[in-house]
Amino acid sequence: MQRPQYANMPPAHSPPLHHPVPQHVSTVPQLRSPPPPQPPSQPQSGYGYAQQGGAPPGQPGAGGYNMPPAFGGFINDPTAQLGFQMGRSAVGAGQAYVEQNFGRFISVAALKHYFNVTNSYVANKLYIVLAPWWHRPWSRAQRMSSNPQDTYYLPPREDLNSPDMYIPMMALVTYIVLSTLLAGLRGAFHPELLGYTATTAISVMLLEILTIKAGTFVLNISSSSQLLDLVAYSGYKFVGVIVSLLLSSLCSHLNFGGSWISWGVFLYCFFANAFFLLRSLRYVLLPDESGQGVGGGAAGYTVARSQRRWRTQFLFIYSYPIQFAFMLWLSSV
Amino acid sequence: MVFFGLGGLLYVAVLFINGIAILSEDRFLARIGWTTNASDPGFGGQRDDVSIKARLINLVSSVRTLMRIPLIVINTFMICYLLILG
Repeated sequence: MQRPQYANMPPAHSPPLHHPVPQHVSTVPQLRSPPPPQPPSQPQSGYGYAQQGGAPPGQPGAGGYNMPPAFGGFINDPTAQLGFQMGRSAVGAGQAYVEQNFGRFISVAALKHYFNVTNSYVANKLYIVLAPWWHRPWSRAQRMSSNPQDTYYLPPREDLNSPDMYIPMMALVTYIVLSTLLAGLRGAFHPELLGYTATTAISVMLLEILTIKAGTFVLNISSSSQLLDLVAYSGYKFVGVIVSLLLSSLCSHLNFGGSWISWGVFLYCFFANAFFLLRSLRYVLLPDESGQGVGGGAAGYTVARSQRRWRTQFLFIYSYPIQFAFMLWLSSV
Repeated sequence: MVFFGLGGLLYVAVLFINGIAILSEDRFLARIGWTTNASDPGFGGQRDDVSIKARLINLVSSVRTLMRIPLIVINTFMICYLLILG
């Protein structure tokens, strides 16, 4: 069947429509956001997930921006990119320098373990330091890693009995500031007082650590506890000293109870601190009394009864009279 | 800031170590039996190394041997410092 042929049909002619016809072409530059900063080359655990968590920001479309095209050219400018790269490599070199030179003296990884705390840990630990009578399990939790030689302790985040350095450091600074403040309220402030208090507090800690180290050497205790553990344990007494100072100065300001209240609070804090140290240092100074021994160091080494008696006596002498003397010294501000 | 209180501590420590270093070996320590091989390894030959007295004796003798020469240097410094600055 054939189509009917229309001969000489004029082309279809629609009436002119008045739709807007773009008269001039506006060149909208395709804007792209600058590339996200790349994570540093060394694996830093603290910075790692902060960088990778932020996805690179999406590139905004060209809708609506009417910036001059020179802005787009800035990012692609080779000079700017060279600047970025130099900055990145400078930061990386600085980090490598710090790690190399100070990593020998202060091992940053060990320090990070001690500052790995949470809010609930801090609150519970302060409660235990000030009222240790009802706390039941005092042993630190261990975790076996892949090779059986290398058991390490859980960080303070997961184990309430693990010593941390956050509370002792904060307590030390608070003690220095508080004792200077109280001296200022009494009218006896001079700027060297800050330095005196700081050296007093630090020498107390040094003397304590020397005492424990001397005792460990003389009594032949082979304990595998770190130095920072001992620093942490000796720093927990500042919490009690702060509480005692605060309450005694408050009571003397309000003319409440005279010297009985301050002595009472001081003795309570002293006994709490002594009990806390007794329970915590039992695992440091008497390593063979715990269940499995400490990392195989004391395995197969039978301690004579007199040795054990000397060690227990040393632990008691350290916890009670020495701590009493130190706390008295620190509180006599 | 560091020097304020720690200077006294350093002074006490230096005097203490001086006191240990000037003990006479044959006139004093041998009299009270605090020399290193005073304990006779009688029976099986195992030296008594773990008792408190033995470890203290060890500590004293090692301090004396090691700190003789550094103590000379430290004492000279302290004498000059105290002479100049009182």
